[in-house]
Amino acid sequence: MTTSHPDQIGCYTAHGKTHFYSVKRTELDRAGVQMARTLRSFAFKPGSYVLTVSVVQEVVQFAPFEFALQLLGLYGTNADLSPFDAGRVESLARQFDPVAICGVGNEVLEGLKMMGHDAATVFKGRTVWARPDAYDAIKAMPGVTARRVVLVGPALALECAQGSLHIDGREWDVTVDGEELVLSSRQYRIDPVSGLKTGFSGALTDTPCACGSPDPHFRLIGGI
Amino acid sequence: MASNTIIYPDVLDPIETASREFLDRHQEASLAAMCEHAVANAPLIGKVWADAGVKPSDFKSLADFREKAPFLTKDDIRAYRDAHDDPTGGMSVDSPGQTVSVGTTSGTTGDPTPVPNWRRTPAEDTYARDHWHIGVRPGDHVCHMLFTFRGGHRRRSLSELGIAEICFSISPFEIPRIVEASKRFRPTSMSIFPNPLINAFEQYFEKTGEDPVDVFKSYKGAIFGGEPLGDRQKALTQSWGLELFETTSLGDVAGACECREHNGFHAYEDIAFIEAVDPITAEPVADGELGELVVTSLVDRLSPLVRYRTGDLVSIDRSPCGCGRTHARFKLLGRATDQILVQGRSILPREIMGLIEKHDETRANLFQIIRADREMDELKLRIGYDVTRLKDSEGALRLRLYERISVAIDVPLVLELVDEQELLKLGPPHKIPRVTKK
Repeated sequence: MTTSHPDQIGCYTAHGKTHFYSVKRTELDRAGVQMARTLRSFAFKPGSYVLTVSVVQEVVQFAPFEFALQLLGLYGTNADLSPFDAGRVESLARQFDPVAICGVGNEVLEGLKMMGHDAATVFKGRTVWARPDAYDAIKAMPGVTARRVVLVGPALALECAQGSLHIDGREWDVTVDGEELVLSSRQYRIDPVSGLKTGFSGALTDTPCACGSPDPHFRLIGGI
Repeated sequence: MASNTIIYPDVLDPIETASREFLDRHQEASLAAMCEHAVANAPLIGKVWADAGVKPSDFKSLADFREKAPFLTKDDIRAYRDAHDDPTGGMSVDSPGQTVSVGTTSGTTGDPTPVPNWRRTPAEDTYARDHWHIGVRPGDHVCHMLFTFRGGHRRRSLSELGIAEICFSISPFEIPRIVEASKRFRPTSMSIFPNPLINAFEQYFEKTGEDPVDVFKSYKGAIFGGEPLGDRQKALTQSWGLELFETTSLGDVAGACECREHNGFHAYEDIAFIEAVDPITAEPVADGELGELVVTSLVDRLSPLVRYRTGDLVSIDRSPCGCGRTHARFKLLGRATDQILVQGRSILPREIMGLIEKHDETRANLFQIIRADREMDELKLRIGYDVTRLKDSEGALRLRLYERISVAIDVPLVLELVDEQELLKLGPPHKIPRVTKK
């Protein structure tokens, strides 16, 4: 007998509505292997720390990222995306001196401010993948290598060292309908999607990225 | 033709029902192996043991270990961290290929302490056993509410059992989604389900008219954690058809959870060796007497805590439990650092909790003991109340609280009332600091 029971149920948000999304661990690991290609472009030294800022229900998007860290010999550590846990972001940045922090959103910036920490000092000297609501503020901080991270439906789009926003092309067929990014799953999934309108507008780029990853990359225009 | 229905044997892990003799011998062997490993690989353990002039080979029995092995405290770990610029406090064995992530403790009392994680942590093992005991089986769903800082998104222990985790933040904003998931996936368990979330569910049900019994009808239990469970919350959740199982930390080594007997927290003795000592003299106390819980990991090679003084005041019971397990249980009275002596009378937050929740305005049980020193002339409490539920005046509420607490705890009392939202800001979301200096 075979079973098709999910391992984890996370979620994604599109057009203001949050949907449950089921995955098997094998799908997350598979996506992690692919994501390692984007991460490799930074040439982080093995044994370095990378801090991930996320919430538990973002497992579908961030578990592949964490698996990619493991594959590259990096040590992952975590904080919650919330103003309450911004103190942990500051503490872990101070204690571990991570080479990169992924998933910083406006909640973290608000929390740091509330707790009296200077965000520019916390992030200085690091690569920071910022969510759309925090990107401009992070980009303006001196000494910070700002990159984008975007939760595009159940996929995690991550900017490489060259500044291109990549999405896993082995896992997802990415098209544009009007200006809206649309995802369809290409691999066997327990919860396949077809023509998922992501709520993000973007322009796909058809030139190879200088980082060496063949994954499709796009220019984010904004939310719809 | 093969049947389409798989019947899984409804038994506990055999180690959970092992005889005391087997457990003792197993612990003796595991302790010897762990001490060898820890002294050789965890710099702080090596230092503490060298300072004490003892070696793992000095121990031939559990009695030897109890008599000679040096203790370790959180302050030792922090001091080593600060002196050696080592974020792990000399406790970690960073091992490429083995350390898959570095979790951290809640950090309620200072900088979070790093806890390196192997592919499956001891806490995940105990968590899976706890769910199994509640009745979760392959093919089921559980609502998983937690933080990412314990170890991110790499948990596998339940999925390895064929159990799907539906993931949520511990946040009142998640309640509509938890309700939706409960009706759609019909989970059999959830964890962790802390006080603030219970209060938020209560408000949600009051506002929406949603029937909690229908929402929770598939649940065989829910794991409650973060702080002690009050009588009011227990009765409230029972009225929803939910049986709560309290859980607590086994000294940062693993988790410990109640069983259906609700007669103490089960410490899995194949995961940890537990003792109780006098919090002042560090002399051993007998099972059944109050002492500070001391824990040694028997399995965690990346964070090999040995004789770690947890600060938790407990009484240990090693008699077999009605649930079928033979492992030790313990009753938790509170944290030694939370204890306050007012005119010689010992007071712990757990005692206050049962009094404050009895008033409608303070049903959320949000309060702090203001403890400038361990010994105080009066008991000072800061109590949060729901301003929208105030029946009369703040002064009248203060008087009602004063009378109730004074009768129960006969010491001089000073009460400060504040909007409960102010206390909730002190987070983390599953609990607030119960003891504060000012």
